[in-house]
Amino acid sequence: MVELGFLDLPSWSQLQPFIATGLALGGVYALSGVGMVVLYQTTGVLNLAFGAVGAMGALIAWELVNNAGMAEGLAYLVCILFGGAITLLYGAFFGAALAGRDPLVKATASLGLLLILLGTMSWIWSDKARSLTLPTSDPAFTVGEIFVNWTQLIALGLGIVVTFGTLAFLRFTNLGTAMRALANDREIAATLGVPVRKVEAQAWLVSGLLAGAAGLLLSNLVGLDAATLTFLVISSLAAALIARLRSLPITFFAALVVGLVTAMSTPWTPVSEYRQMAPFVLAVIALLWISRKREVTIPGASG
Amino acid sequence: MAAGTATATGLRAPVPISGLRDISILRVAVITALLLLVLFGLPILNSNFWIQVNTQVAVYAITALGLGLLMGRVGLVSLGQIAVLALGAWVGARLLFATGVPFAVVLVMTGLITMVLGTLIGLPALRLSGLYLALVTLMLAGAIAVVLASTDFPNGGSGFLGHQEGGTEATSGAGTAETIRRPTIAESSDSYFRYTVIATALMFLLVLAHVRSKPGRAWAAIRQSEPAALAAGVNVTLYKLWAFALAAFITGIAGGLLAGENGVLFNYQFPTEDSIILLAVVLMGGIYSIWGAIIAGAFMRLLPELLNNWGLPADLLIILFGVGILQVLLTAPAGLIDQVPKDLRRLGRFLKRQVRGSPGQSADAAESG
Repeated sequence: MVELGFLDLPSWSQLQPFIATGLALGGVYALSGVGMVVLYQTTGVLNLAFGAVGAMGALIAWELVNNAGMAEGLAYLVCILFGGAITLLYGAFFGAALAGRDPLVKATASLGLLLILLGTMSWIWSDKARSLTLPTSDPAFTVGEIFVNWTQLIALGLGIVVTFGTLAFLRFTNLGTAMRALANDREIAATLGVPVRKVEAQAWLVSGLLAGAAGLLLSNLVGLDAATLTFLVISSLAAALIARLRSLPITFFAALVVGLVTAMSTPWTPVSEYRQMAPFVLAVIALLWISRKREVTIPGASG
Repeated sequence: MAAGTATATGLRAPVPISGLRDISILRVAVITALLLLVLFGLPILNSNFWIQVNTQVAVYAITALGLGLLMGRVGLVSLGQIAVLALGAWVGARLLFATGVPFAVVLVMTGLITMVLGTLIGLPALRLSGLYLALVTLMLAGAIAVVLASTDFPNGGSGFLGHQEGGTEATSGAGTAETIRRPTIAESSDSYFRYTVIATALMFLLVLAHVRSKPGRAWAAIRQSEPAALAAGVNVTLYKLWAFALAAFITGIAGGLLAGENGVLFNYQFPTEDSIILLAVVLMGGIYSIWGAIIAGAFMRLLPELLNNWGLPADLLIILFGVGILQVLLTAPAGLIDQVPKDLRRLGRFLKRQVRGSPGQSADAAESG
């Protein structure tokens, strides 16, 4: 027996149940991370309101199901479409107006959207416990000794599909090529005849749809609370940051690691209470490693 | 917009007082008079509740001053200043329970300890460019919130954490907990308010002294361009760290003051969104003038209470702050402290023109204005 309580690591059988949770969480983080990275690369906007958009969508879906009696599937669709619509609207007005500014200014502006949405949510849906249970949340089957439900499977699956689908999309379609051109240089792309506004609008829309989907899944996996969901964006951001807001495959794998580490430290008593810190700790370590040899920082340069 | 600015500068020249040398004496006199009014006028005019609100305004004005310094002077965005404030409050509360030294000494110690912690956090993060630094501070704010949720604030218990279960039941009469003590010369709400305002004034003077001297010039150079500042011989890392340390120092003192004001601290008093609301009010107040911090403090702590008083939901304010961020970034980068006098001058000119141009319409113009 090890005498130090801190080193009393949980056994494999204790860890097992948390693998499914971790992978599901990682899948949603990947989904959000990809949504943010694609938008950042195309428009230069790091949308910090990503979580707030999803939270508002989920709350609208809750309202539609519980108070308006709408069919669940339709309400969930509204949630995702709301994410796309509000993000596109923001992009059309403020994305264009701030196009020439520093990335820091653009990210700060998205905090404005975050506050508007957060204020609206806590005004309409005053802090009362709510829950949104997707019909897919019953335990579906077991792998070994782990119960897995369809929501978890959808979360991980969607994460995989979105990441690698986006990669293929960027590589093989005209719109994807235009987005990559914008990521390289907005001015040159415009000179070469890429319809900048149109391409950017599409990036905003897709990113918003992903925000809605992520909000819906997270409200089910984590809980339906405006502030929690809004700031869960920080966890997804961790994965995107580890990938330096650039690489989609790294975002995906980093998201899985973040999700797994967060979930699997639950049974380890000394750190269990602090497990929500895992995304921050991992991202900070990664960022410091990336920038270890830097002396001077130049606005607009990545890293 | 451009035409308006041109006329503004054209008209500003003949204003008689702007060229005089004694403008600074006049300014000091006005500020001193205002300070005296706040110190002795407000406690007479206001009830106990509103004095406590005003104490909070002063505390958050210091916090806003720290963030304004980072953003306006050096060009660094920190999204974790409320976490630093919470850190300061934690350290202050712990020291006040653990020691018997005078309150003012505890405040300075709190400032110094928070400064060391803030600098330790800042040192590695400063190598990152603006956006990444902002994100790291946001993450650290989230991390500190998690730690505080688990450990909670000191409430007179023993040990490093100083927290005992059920200790915070003081209000329900369990009587096990003590409240955080206040300075012996400022036990009542009124005198503690004065104490806080004087401390706030000292913090403003401290920052002003920095801005007006060598560090201020170095920060201005860094804000313009880091490579250029480096080429001109400015020690970029040192001065960025200096700004971080100064902001953390005054925020730590604000935390200590807040501990004394509240008596009992809870972690829900420092939610992560407050760091973002702070950013909003600092931007709205104005980051290029240190006086914008006072507007920011009032926006953050006085406005919500006023809205409550009028029976309006305080959530509306969060929406307003969100709109404020967008408005400041798009049209009024210098915030209200710059915009309001400018708009008033413009309104004055407009009214004057109306009066001169067609006397018949002047009454309408004055009313609509």
